[in-house]
Amino acid sequence: MTIQSAEEEIDRTLGKRIISFARSPLFQGDAQVLHPPNPYRRMLVPDALAEGDFDRPPAAGEWAAHRSLSAHRLLGTFYEADTVLLPEQGLAPLHADFDLFYGSELRELRESSVSALERFAFACLDDAVDVSGAATPEVLDAYFQHVVAEAENGPSPALAAIAAARDRESAADLYLVQLALDGLTEASAMSRNLAGAYGPEQSALFKIFIDEFGYGVYDAKHTTIFAKMLRSRAMATHVHAYWNFYLAGPLATNNYYYYLSRDHAKFFRYAGAVTYAEAVFAPAFVEMVKVFRDIFGDNVDLHYCDEHAHIDEHHGRITREEVLLALAARHGPRVVPELMRGVAEARLIGGWFEDDTAAQIRWSDDLPRHRDLAGTVRLGPEPRRVALTPDSPFGTRSHDDSMVLEVERGEAELITTPTGPPERLARGDAVLIPAGRLYGVRSTAAACDYLLHAVTPDG
Amino acid sequence: MARVIVMDLSRHNTVLVGHDRYFVLHTEGRALLVLDRCPHRGGPLSLARRTPDGRRLSCPWHGTKVGVAAVKRTSLPMVRSGDEAVVVLPDGDDEGGEPISVIRKEVLANLPPDAPCAAESAGEAAGAVGAGEVARR
Ligand code: FES
Ligand SMILES: [Fe+2]
Ligand SMILES: [Fe+2]
Repeated sequence: MTIQSAEEEIDRTLGKRIISFARSPLFQGDAQVLHPPNPYRRMLVPDALAEGDFDRPPAAGEWAAHRSLSAHRLLGTFYEADTVLLPEQGLAPLHADFDLFYGSELRELRESSVSALERFAFACLDDAVDVSGAATPEVLDAYFQHVVAEAENGPSPALAAIAAARDRESAADLYLVQLALDGLTEASAMSRNLAGAYGPEQSALFKIFIDEFGYGVYDAKHTTIFAKMLRSRAMATHVHAYWNFYLAGPLATNNYYYYLSRDHAKFFRYAGAVTYAEAVFAPAFVEMVKVFRDIFGDNVDLHYCDEHAHIDEHHGRITREEVLLALAARHGPRVVPELMRGVAEARLIGGWFEDDTAAQIRWSDDLPRHRDLAGTVRLGPEPRRVALTPDSPFGTRSHDDSMVLEVERGEAELITTPTGPPERLARGDAVLIPAGRLYGVRSTAAACDYLLHAVTPDG
Repeated sequence: MARVIVMDLSRHNTVLVGHDRYFVLHTEGRALLVLDRCPHRGGPLSLARRTPDGRRLSCPWHGTKVGVAAVKRTSLPMVRSGDEAVVVLPDGDDEGGEPISVIRKEVLANLPPDAPCAAESAGEAAGAVGAGEVARR
């Protein structure tokens, strides 16, 4: 078998492999909206996953497709299975889950599908970014400085959406949850680039790592101060309480750094990406502090943001001078396009994080209008019927196209944010779910049926 | 009763007292035993390089320039006769219960600003730019 056809063979069975992975008892969810303090359990919504065509990667403009959400949930789970996750309260009651999560059966499924799943999940970047022309360290730095300045000056769409929301507290919490994906396991991807022998640039990266890990002091570790910020909002702090609310864009952003760190052929791309990220963090956290103080006053612990507004000034400088430009100087023009590609991809995927979060905030903050809109659109024939009981496992999903959700029997709660009040839907109520928006439904009657109507394009 | 240790400066340049570390800094022809901790985030000042004017140490972690005058203020009481130094240690938390050791480790802070050291290579140029950035802020 040639390499080409071997790869095709793996690709053809990708859908099957990931569905058998997602069918593991660990990934079936339970009736609760939040996940319990058990890092091994996370709802992968296998039935919705099975709808996706895993032979057709989402293209550059299709990042909001449902199969993109499914793929990134899986990929995030794969990557985290390569890190050490232990529950704070001790493993004693969860040992069987630990064995299953890290066990050979799931590991074989992960190992045999991770490369194909990465190609699927990140194919959109191949089309979206192209670096051409003479690549010199000067070109690299000029491009880098330009995009960083642009990010510093541009407003954050997600923070702007929070500031403009009617329910700013729920909007702010939704944003915190998107940060939690990385915040609760911070710098895990970075740790994969520390091993090996690559000169002073390796030591420069390690200096950053020392800061991320709080100089060996648990209370100063960035994950610890992130948890402190959540706690100040009376939110859960375990990995991953809010799994059901991670949006595709933030999942993809988090996965992206693992993706570059798993395969060291992409090391220079990683260096470009991490340099971009460190450079834009400091001003972003300054802006976040303003928005959050405005909403919560002193009732939120923003040490995490202050820490990053300060230390990422240093990380931005260290990565640019001692990693990005130093690698370009040492290894020559051949690595420059990859460094630039990393910068460009990190910027693109960071934009997806922002846009997805902003869109979710705006939609969940404006459900009454989406109830009205549900009555104005034209619906396709043959809606899908979904039956729920109060014991049905709770999961969230999105759709490739706009849908109208209509309660046919019983009553339900539509859940679109981690902490906001659920939207009560009585029999006959309908709401428009725009393409790509994340939602879950919980039955509040002994039985509830709802219909999902496709919206016809001219509707 | 204060604790006293005797160290041989021809063999040792570092003292560990509990969680604190002191190193021998040579400045203006004298040897001082100073705290090996950057006031910013605790970076190892013994691994700092001198700024070109020799008056500050550029911390290896984030490039903060710490004045030698400020570093001198952290020095422990010490009486040197030849290579023998008698050091009076600060009072510990629990009546002298902290472990104390005297060792030799690499100290870059005593090198002249432009002297190369084993670890140095192309990265140094970039490091110098970094230090300049901090100074401008
Ligand atoms: S610890 Fe010395 S500059 Fe930060
Ligand atoms: Fe951090
Ligand atoms: Fe950082």
